[in-house]
Amino acid sequence: MTQYIVRRLLLMLPTLAGITVLVFAVMAMAPGGIGANLMTRGGDMRPEERAAMVAYLNKRYGLDQPMATQYLRWLNNVLPIGYETGPDGSRGKFGFKPPDLGMSFVKNRPVLDLIAEALPITLLLNALTIPLIFAGSILMGVYTARFRGQALDIGIGTANLALWSIPTIWMGVMLIGFLASEQYLKWFPTTGLESLRADSWTFLPSRTETGWQIGYLLDLLWHLVLPVFCLTYSGFAFLTKLTRSAVLENLLSDYARTARAKGVSEQVVLWRHVFRNSLLPLITVAASILPGLLVGSVIVETIFSIDGMGRLAVEAVQMRDREVVLSITLVTGILTLVSYLLVDICYALADPRVSYE
Amino acid sequence: MSEVAATPSNHQSETFSARVLRQTIASNGARFGLAWIGLVTLCAVFAPLLANSHPLLMRVGGNWSSPLLEHLTWIDTTLLAAFFVGLGLWMQRRRLSGSRALLLMMVLVTIAGSISYATVSPPVAVVLDQYRTGLADGSIEEAIFVPIAYSPTDRSRDNPLSLTAPDRLHLMGTDEDGADVFSRMIHACRIALGIGLVATGIALAIGILYGGIMGFFTGWIEILMMRFLEIFESIPQLFLLLTVVAFFGRNIYLIMAVIGLTSWPGYARYLRAEFLKLRRQDFVQAAQASGLPIFSILFRHMLPNGVAPLLVAASFGIASAILAEAVLSFLGLGVVDEPSWGGMLNQAVGPGGTFAVWLATYPGLAIFLTVFAYNLIGEALRDAIDPHLQRPVS
Repeated sequence: MTQYIVRRLLLMLPTLAGITVLVFAVMAMAPGGIGANLMTRGGDMRPEERAAMVAYLNKRYGLDQPMATQYLRWLNNVLPIGYETGPDGSRGKFGFKPPDLGMSFVKNRPVLDLIAEALPITLLLNALTIPLIFAGSILMGVYTARFRGQALDIGIGTANLALWSIPTIWMGVMLIGFLASEQYLKWFPTTGLESLRADSWTFLPSRTETGWQIGYLLDLLWHLVLPVFCLTYSGFAFLTKLTRSAVLENLLSDYARTARAKGVSEQVVLWRHVFRNSLLPLITVAASILPGLLVGSVIVETIFSIDGMGRLAVEAVQMRDREVVLSITLVTGILTLVSYLLVDICYALADPRVSYE
Repeated sequence: MSEVAATPSNHQSETFSARVLRQTIASNGARFGLAWIGLVTLCAVFAPLLANSHPLLMRVGGNWSSPLLEHLTWIDTTLLAAFFVGLGLWMQRRRLSGSRALLLMMVLVTIAGSISYATVSPPVAVVLDQYRTGLADGSIEEAIFVPIAYSPTDRSRDNPLSLTAPDRLHLMGTDEDGADVFSRMIHACRIALGIGLVATGIALAIGILYGGIMGFFTGWIEILMMRFLEIFESIPQLFLLLTVVAFFGRNIYLIMAVIGLTSWPGYARYLRAEFLKLRRQDFVQAAQASGLPIFSILFRHMLPNGVAPLLVAASFGIASAILAEAVLSFLGLGVVDEPSWGGMLNQAVGPGGTFAVWLATYPGLAIFLTVFAYNLIGEALRDAIDPHLQRPVS
């Protein structure tokens, strides 16, 4: 197993290189180049000033070099092993060095800082969403599998398919519109993850001179309700449908009948025999749900104005901030590949027949 | 054999594809899905005849003219031609085989398209309020309009009404710029349908070619191709889409191409799995032994036997392509100046926290129903194809 994991980790390197090459090439081939694109804000300059400014930007960020040189330079900076780069861009000695994700062209801050601020927020959203999806859909799937019948099967299946088909953008807009607007119900906040003065609050609810204040934790949870719901419902519907059909199929199988004939109680048949076998298809599709959640957080973070990776990505792409775009590609690529690997390991743990030796 | 084939009630004798088609259409879900997509198709084809600011007929100085017909674009006429060619071939379906009808359709539509492109040239500068102001001041004596008398880009400059709730004049209200939402809803059917079909077509073509080759060859070719496929799989589609659109401009054909170029790995995987099973079968071995060229073995003998799971995946793929375009437009990176459901949804929540219910309900419902329709069809297809589900439920 260790050998398998090490091999998979090593195979990630060429895949990650491929992903970044692709995104790099897309940006490098853009008409006008990045230097000219960075200039969109200086519209009132004279043509010669403009040309000089573009040339300066190109030189400053090394954009006047050939594409391959630019990519290799970026790769060298990102890797923990490589040539050290001096402050003037000169090449130092070869060896271990801290990885450097570069500076944001637009925000003029290290990309590492930007990602260090945004990543925990997106991970928080997903850390809440994934257990909710799995716990909810497994319970719901097993529960609804007990009711059987032609019309009921179709009804439950179609309802789940419908819930799965609701676009997140629509759900988000409707939730904000009806539950977080002045015109209808103002139950939830519309933007961000904390209230304006939450910094000065205690962590837990406490009593102050002016009365009760809800505290940082409850405030955060209150802000998280709608975004997490938006991320959850569609995966929940998809997995419920899958769990139900898997459990149904196994309940009718020969081994379940044998267990019942032996006198095993229905609860034990369901949870110890049928349920374990029904887990396998769930793990298989988990591989497709995890990257979906990353995409989902782009949408949800934009709708609810949460400063996570998704929002950072949309902003960076719109501003054509090359270093940020490349770094986000790298980070999401690593997250996706690691989640694929985790799914494969879970598969081997759940099914003793699966072995990667 | 001919006697058996002559009795269609005998289900044992029908071909696999005929059985799948019969069972798919028999399900209520697929019927609803097909009905909705049919409605969207009709709206897409007849959009300029349903919602247009140009009057169908108008009388100026005693002379009748039809500004609507003069302002049709080559895309409008090609779509209309394609629709009627398709309808004609459908009427003749007993006399034509499926593949021949498809070929004929493609040829005729290409001809109609090139003729339209060469001959149809509507006036470039269009003032859309001229008819309303003309009718008001009497310079136009009489005008007959189509059911919705607003073009999707008619911002009602003569009487600006931004974000008005639905009323008798605008059945679904107006958007931020004062354009009629109902008209935009109808014209947006084109982008939704076009994205789904073209992007999935591109993805299917690449996926079939790639998956077929990968499933037939073994060794280092397969390993190399698999790595390449994994690269494409690990890139979040939306992210690449955002990058390309931001750096290359907001072009509908570019968006179609990128969605197509990023969604093929799934199809390639499905086809590879099918081909790995088929490779060992006798008919493939026989084809190889008789020295058929590799292309013929792969795509004339193996593909028809392995295409079923692809159709299911394609149906779900169309749904997700439509969703991808909607999300892109919602994020404000969609096509410029063309109506799109996602773009309209974006205007529902204003910057000041105002909420235009009509701008959330109608476009959102349209995206949902279209995605739901394709998912229902995919589900019905899968149930019909999967032999596992053929046995009666005990």
